[in-house]
Amino acid sequence: MNSHKPQLLVIVAALITLLITTGCANVQPVAAESPAGAQANAAPAADPVDAPEVNAATEASPVGFENVVVSTEWLAENLDNPAVRVIEVSVIPGVYERGHIPGAVNFVWHTDFVDTISRDIVSATRLQELARDAGINDDSTVVLYGDNNNWFAAWGAWVFKLYGAPDVRILDGGRAKWEAEGRELAVAAPTVEPGDFTASGANANLRAHLADVRQIVEGDVDAALIDIRSPAEYEGTIFAPEGFQELAVRAGHIPTAVNVPWAQAVNEDGSFKSVEELRDLYASVGVDGSRPVVVYCRIGERASHTWFVLSQILGYDAKLYDGSWTEWGNTVGVPIENPAGTIWGAQ
Amino acid sequence: MAQHVEGSRLGAAALLHSRQGVRTGIAVAVLIALASGAYLLHQTPGRGAPASFSLLTGVVLGLLFERGRFCFFCIFNDLIEQRNSGPFYAVLAALAAGGVGYAIVFGAFMPNAGAGRLPPAAHIGPVSWALVAAGIAFGLGMALSGACISGHLYRLGEGYSRAPIALFGSLLGFGVGFYTWNTLYLGIIAGAPTPWLPAWLGYGGALAVHLTVLAVLALLLLRRIPEQAARPAQRITPAHVRDAVLKERWRPLITGGLVGLTGTFAYLRVEPLGVTAQLGSISRTTLDHTGWLPERLNGLDTLAGCATAVVQTITNNGWLVSGLILASFAAALLSNRFSPSPLTARNSATALLGGVLMGWGAMTALGCTVGTLLSGISAFALSGWVFALAVFAGVWLGIRLRLHAL
Repeated sequence: MNSHKPQLLVIVAALITLLITTGCANVQPVAAESPAGAQANAAPAADPVDAPEVNAATEASPVGFENVVVSTEWLAENLDNPAVRVIEVSVIPGVYERGHIPGAVNFVWHTDFVDTISRDIVSATRLQELARDAGINDDSTVVLYGDNNNWFAAWGAWVFKLYGAPDVRILDGGRAKWEAEGRELAVAAPTVEPGDFTASGANANLRAHLADVRQIVEGDVDAALIDIRSPAEYEGTIFAPEGFQELAVRAGHIPTAVNVPWAQAVNEDGSFKSVEELRDLYASVGVDGSRPVVVYCRIGERASHTWFVLSQILGYDAKLYDGSWTEWGNTVGVPIENPAGTIWGAQ
Repeated sequence: MAQHVEGSRLGAAALLHSRQGVRTGIAVAVLIALASGAYLLHQTPGRGAPASFSLLTGVVLGLLFERGRFCFFCIFNDLIEQRNSGPFYAVLAALAAGGVGYAIVFGAFMPNAGAGRLPPAAHIGPVSWALVAAGIAFGLGMALSGACISGHLYRLGEGYSRAPIALFGSLLGFGVGFYTWNTLYLGIIAGAPTPWLPAWLGYGGALAVHLTVLAVLALLLLRRIPEQAARPAQRITPAHVRDAVLKERWRPLITGGLVGLTGTFAYLRVEPLGVTAQLGSISRTTLDHTGWLPERLNGLDTLAGCATAVVQTITNNGWLVSGLILASFAAALLSNRFSPSPLTARNSATALLGGVLMGWGAMTALGCTVGTLLSGISAFALSGWVFALAVFAGVWLGIRLRLHAL
């Protein structure tokens, strides 16, 4: 048998493999279509940290869409801007470490944004310490992003706003959109100069406790309630989505709450819908900013996404009830609506 | 070498053995299919680079394991029974290269080792008597079945007929592991410490200790290397290269060094090397569907290691294992080492029982000789060393009890 034949074959195969694999490496994921072209966030502003250009969308939003939401283009252009500090809040371990937006620091939601002993948000002292370590100053523009549709980035934004950070923004479309557009990622954790961020006392206007919600339910306070969980959770058909450990022993929702699942606020690529669309969405359930609104979910994290839309993008008087269903549905003696009639423990 | 049952080769296998052109053709086709598979995975939404990279990592491991015969049982057996420490240097080289690589990656991932956190997803596990028991059971299982789990995976590609039986046994063993988990967790594992060297010594200090221990072991084992035959002076021709790459067993230091490098790249890009996560997940998912799985596996999903889950799809680890088996098959064909061995009732039974022991051990230890031992020690986890010693003790005991010759 000719012993050179297989050798030749191997070489050809190796070349083909090389071609395929290098070809593979060169293929850039197709950038997602630019979301809602008319949206203000799609337009890269030269230096929006300073006064942003006023256009149709910013007029429509009392706070200015791009004062609270930054596009991937904008962030890419502002990575070297010392006034901008980027924080990644991803849930899956190792996601940040294996590649994050260059210069972004890592915050872990279950140790950095909540108290690790009592069920509460992180203390002002601890947040101030973490923020300073992350190089955040009082005049910094803090941009948060993360995996899982920015849920925990939104939670982080809520905590930062609660403790008085003046300029907190979310990356539109989060980590998924940044990745889908094939943008730059870095592996090394950045070294930053300590910042001088000073946490204020918790802003009571942004957070609702059980007693506050009870006053709404009993009609003592005029405010709307939005349940952002799935319709099946809202109706009481299920106690929690499959795979989630934190449960309540009662199913259903808080009386008077309307159901607007969080995902209705975003486009298919995870970016926020336009200000007009968002305003119409919540107006259709009677939430138009004319009276305060409180949002909740199961443990408080998904609702912070809707809180961000209502409070930061639309400028409504909105509070997050972070106790959410795992507090309400477990509390003795509070009223509940349970259209599905599901009974805990019954077969 | 252990357990290679020489017997009459049958029909197709015999034909394959004598036809180099056919073998080469099949091997090349398999390798092209793997490369194409990696390309397609990369393009698939929801899979992307991690799945593609995992498949290619599996291919590299399959080639390395087969060409270097990186089989932990064979290596241990050579040392214990044959008193030949040569192949053992592959393990030492893998751990040395892996340690250097992990120190570099850790430095980027988590610059401050003393911050009270563990690096993400690295195989740093609790050290307890459960880990020791798991290691001994795993070692006994290796002796009984003729290879560890990664060994069976690559030897499956060589046509080792006991491998599928042992791997099936390990699925059963995982099931047993899920049953005993809650008891072991509540009684022993939950309260056990998770020592991680860099937390005390920093990465530089930990790496210095790591390399010193490996160097001492390497020195001690020198006297067990058999006398080397003198090699005549010769020119390196393409034919030499072909034989060195495709025919001869790769040298331990080369094989081990490349395994350590592969482990580093895997941790950098996707997850630490391991080969049992998909196997364990198959067990867990099957048991979950039949309703036999304990309703709650306490703490299991919070521990680092070859994590199992109830899954409906092929995980990244599944792609790695697939790549490993197929690439080993291609390598075995190219070097004409594909030879199905005859099965008997006896060697099937020992393979099955060995598999069960290894499955239980891998579930309880949160990984096997690759996940807990290699990736764990490379990550400076004490759990990796404890598991390694326990596995070695198990293999030693198995050989003393002649389990490998049953």
